[in-house]
Amino acid sequence: MSAIETGTSQRPGLAALVERFPFLPALVILLALLALNGWFQPNSLGFRAITGLISTYLALMMLSVAQTYVVYAGDVDLSVGAILSLVNCVIIVLMERWGGGGIAVLMACALGILTGLACGLLNGFVVAVLRLQAIVATFATSIFFTGIALYVLPVAGTPAPTIYWRTYGGRFFEIPFVFYVVAALAIVLVMATRARLTTQMLAVGDDAFKAFQGGLPVTAIRLKGYMLCGVFSALAALCITGDTASGDPLVGGAMTLYSVAAVVLGGTALSGGRGSVVGSVLGALIIGLISSLVFYVGTPSQWQNLVQGLAILLALMLGVMVTRRVQR
Amino acid sequence: MSVEAAGKAEASRFSLTNLIRQPLLVALVLIVLLLALGEMLSPGFASPQQILRLLIVAALLGIVAAGQNLVILGGREGIDLSVGGIVSLSAIIAGNVMNGADSGILPAILACVAAGALFGTFNGIGVTLLRIPPLVMTLGMLGVLQGLLVVIRQGVPSGRAAPALSEFVTRPFLLGLPGIIWLWVLIGLLMAFLLRRTVFGYRVYAIGSNEQAAFLAGVPVRLIRISLFTLSGAFAGLAGLCLIGYAGSSFANVGELYMLPSIIAVVLGGTPLSGGKGGYTGTMAGAVLLVILQSILTTINIDESGRQMIFGATLLVLMLFYGRGRAMRA
Amino acid sequence: MSNLTIRGARKAYGATVALRRGDLDLREGEVHVLIGSNGSGKSTLCKIVSGSVRPDAGEVLIDGKTVSIDGPRAARALGLATFYQELSLAAHRTVAENISLPELPGKGGFFVDRERLNGIAERYIRRFADVAGEGFSADARVEHLREDQRQLVEIMKTLATEAPILIFDEPTSSLDRSQVERFFEVLRELKAQGRAIIFISHRMDEIFAIGDRVTVIRDGETVGTSLISETKPASIIHQMVGESELAVTNGAPPAAAEVKTEAVLSVAGLSAKGFVNVSFEVRRGEILGFGGLHGQGQSAVLRSIFGVNPTDQGTIHIKGEKRTIRSPREAIRCGLAYISGDRGRDGVVHGRPILENVTPIHFLRNKLSLVRPGSLRERAAKPLSALKTRFAGYDQPVNALSGGNQQKIVIARWLIDRPDVLLLDDPTKGIDLQAKTDLFALIRSLAAEGMGIVLYSSEDAELLANADRILVFNSGSVSRELTGADRTRYNLYHAAYEAA
Repeated sequence: MSAIETGTSQRPGLAALVERFPFLPALVILLALLALNGWFQPNSLGFRAITGLISTYLALMMLSVAQTYVVYAGDVDLSVGAILSLVNCVIIVLMERWGGGGIAVLMACALGILTGLACGLLNGFVVAVLRLQAIVATFATSIFFTGIALYVLPVAGTPAPTIYWRTYGGRFFEIPFVFYVVAALAIVLVMATRARLTTQMLAVGDDAFKAFQGGLPVTAIRLKGYMLCGVFSALAALCITGDTASGDPLVGGAMTLYSVAAVVLGGTALSGGRGSVVGSVLGALIIGLISSLVFYVGTPSQWQNLVQGLAILLALMLGVMVTRRVQR
Repeated sequence: MSVEAAGKAEASRFSLTNLIRQPLLVALVLIVLLLALGEMLSPGFASPQQILRLLIVAALLGIVAAGQNLVILGGREGIDLSVGGIVSLSAIIAGNVMNGADSGILPAILACVAAGALFGTFNGIGVTLLRIPPLVMTLGMLGVLQGLLVVIRQGVPSGRAAPALSEFVTRPFLLGLPGIIWLWVLIGLLMAFLLRRTVFGYRVYAIGSNEQAAFLAGVPVRLIRISLFTLSGAFAGLAGLCLIGYAGSSFANVGELYMLPSIIAVVLGGTPLSGGKGGYTGTMAGAVLLVILQSILTTINIDESGRQMIFGATLLVLMLFYGRGRAMRA
Repeated sequence: MSNLTIRGARKAYGATVALRRGDLDLREGEVHVLIGSNGSGKSTLCKIVSGSVRPDAGEVLIDGKTVSIDGPRAARALGLATFYQELSLAAHRTVAENISLPELPGKGGFFVDRERLNGIAERYIRRFADVAGEGFSADARVEHLREDQRQLVEIMKTLATEAPILIFDEPTSSLDRSQVERFFEVLRELKAQGRAIIFISHRMDEIFAIGDRVTVIRDGETVGTSLISETKPASIIHQMVGESELAVTNGAPPAAAEVKTEAVLSVAGLSAKGFVNVSFEVRRGEILGFGGLHGQGQSAVLRSIFGVNPTDQGTIHIKGEKRTIRSPREAIRCGLAYISGDRGRDGVVHGRPILENVTPIHFLRNKLSLVRPGSLRERAAKPLSALKTRFAGYDQPVNALSGGNQQKIVIARWLIDRPDVLLLDDPTKGIDLQAKTDLFALIRSLAAEGMGIVLYSSEDAELLANADRILVFNSGSVSRELTGADRTRYNLYHAAYEAA
């Protein structure tokens, strides 16, 4: 009996692959959706259409990444949408107040990210330190954050400075700006996969109490997860501001649940301990592709929401079942 | 020896710390305090008519929370996010079936409860047979229901409540209390009976607390869990019907307002989201507490932004009383 | 290297005192055995030292200096490492990651250094390579490992701290003989290096094989410490129970009951995951033992008969009638009862009152739909008192009881309405001697009343003392049947190890 082998050779190839890359089922669904989109509307696979898709869904991608970092440790954050709204309002107001120049925009963005960090810190404090139940506690903080957003910007409509949305929608060396953002995001996420914190968060998600007994600083790790979540929610806000070019204190409200859906679509277990941020990005794209597909197949407008809802439900169920089937 | 002594000591001790651990008691005390606060801020807040109005609103939330409570008690991260969608859908169905005529009430009740139960059953089947996590399943179902609402709204008018229903919900019916309050009390009694005096209730706690042990003891785990989701849908359907009786007609996505608050009412009532512990009496108090709190905030004269901030912060403080998890280090 | 002293440690949960006065003196270069029946407080004592439980009183000294242990991390910093009975592993992480958690080797402070991670893992895996069994490697995920392999990972994780003081809380409960022997070799080396080791086990032979000194805890109090070389099992047991003990586990096998009644359960050619072609019969009044090394298919057979796991092949007859059992529900209706030793996972409905814990089978067998607490209490009283269960009242939450009493509650639920066959799956795992005595006395009387009983036990002594016949399992099938005078420790070991 030679026990030390590299590779879990007795596990079937596909299962081992999905275990290593939990986002594979999501990738398959994504490719299928791309093919279907192309089938019904060849133009939809064109450069322009893809650019449009990414500019629209970049915010959701970021938000799903944000959500993933708390789900890793078995938590959830129902306030990501509210954080997004708040940061959107904060940067819009600051950019307007500071005159909308380049420096003003950068300063506002930096402050926006700090705002997201502070929100994440508060969430982490109530969930990890005060030990409130994540679902209800982050719902409460989301009400609180929405309140602040309404205070900062009582009504929707203040426009973003031209330089801001021009940059976001513009091109550099013939390549759209959002592609650079996606590339940067990809690099950051791949690097983050190798981080000690990621392994620690996943270990906490497996079983927080055991992790604690084993000597992990559980509270600090969960707190860091929420802070990361806040930062990525703020980045999502920067994207949505570029896409909508205006401030709206309620813009993120509906996006919270989509971010949870994207995380699940990406093959990450809501119970924690297993998953990938890459999957969540794919999950966000799947949601985007489903709604464009529903449009391209010519669904009558009043039926679009229903068909989209059904398709997402189906994809969620399929994803969960495939992941489980392969993993056993 | 030591265990028996411990049990006796526990029973005889009646200290303040133990009292604070009683969610129901805390909620009741807070309700009284909030009423007093409301009365101070705006005289007339705690007048009988006002309290009645608050109780009606609380009853609507409480009926939704009854189903939510059951699903949460059943454990395995049980939660039902689709109740909001079902309330909205049921309100439309009720409006159209009744269309202002009293003769339509009975069919409307049947239609609403059946529709709610149907979608609840779908949730239950997804959660048990396909083993989709409840949060995911009911979240997906919420999306479907929202889409369905758009379709229905385009096709039919929103309809009107039957006068008798509106009367039942808003006018005094017995001993000066409207019918809906009595209905709520009845539901409270039925829930208490269901959870404490039926085998079904015992089994709900068993699967919520240790599903594997329950399974080995012959509890039909899947059937019970499906029926919890069915009941949750049915309660939401009933609440949708009552809601249109309260509002007269339905309006867009009215049920969204019940989705997360129904969960908060359950938590404030002392049922942890982990399941297997708690009951409905606390949830009723939780619903009243939540409604009074919201009402106070609308009474005082501040901006919407300030209102939301205070509401969020207050919820956090309330959860500190009994929504907390165990410390890692005991 | 360090000495550890604990003085007057005390811990109470509400009104229940878990540890009344814990004293311990651990010296470098010794394996110090801590023994006591379940609920006696030895795990609590360990958890105080490892930082996961906050003591109410008492002091801990390392090398004569008082230290305060504010949590598991603080304990690590002070040079204390703990093997937790319930393991502290992350199921979805690899063996290598688990061994190095929480101090993952870093690169640039931010990234995990994979090379060093694997290097550390290999260093400890190598020690157990030839006994770890199939599928054990540095990058295997813990979730895919067997229970004994997980225990090995926890051992490696504890060793990898290279801490001067090591605490092992029941590290051998799932290990087989060869793994235990290897572990003891490692312990001896550590001892030679001057490490100080606390070792907890319920197995007397292990204690005498590895221990230098032994400290006995009874009812939350340290009774005394003695040199292993100067004591005997009987005197340790005497100290543990505080009175002369019935000593279930050390009696000679009783004369096998001449059982000539009809078979109440007969299994033919049963195969499923974990075992192949298992056939046997249990007669009324008989206690049939399942023996052999841990995890050779004994539990799997019982769980398959009870409908927990699906069967591939084979037939099951109950009272002469052929039955197909697809779920525990059906099994219960056929008159089977199944009691698992893993009460935390399979038995106890946590946090619920005792009444709710003893009634589920009664509900099912009588097709009840309404609860009448009064009559339920009456019905439950008989089996509970037959088991000598100690509890304050039916509304008391089950978790307030000691482990042994919790298991008695779980067993009582099966006895309100008599089953025909009792399947016992290592039912005494982790319960104290007194509870074991009570349990086996009851089982014998149940058999005398005509019940058929299958007993799997991981403790050979228990099996030899209680079973009329023993089927020895080896690699998923029955390798030998021991009856009458053949039921000896030697034969049992021999059958368990041959061809393994």
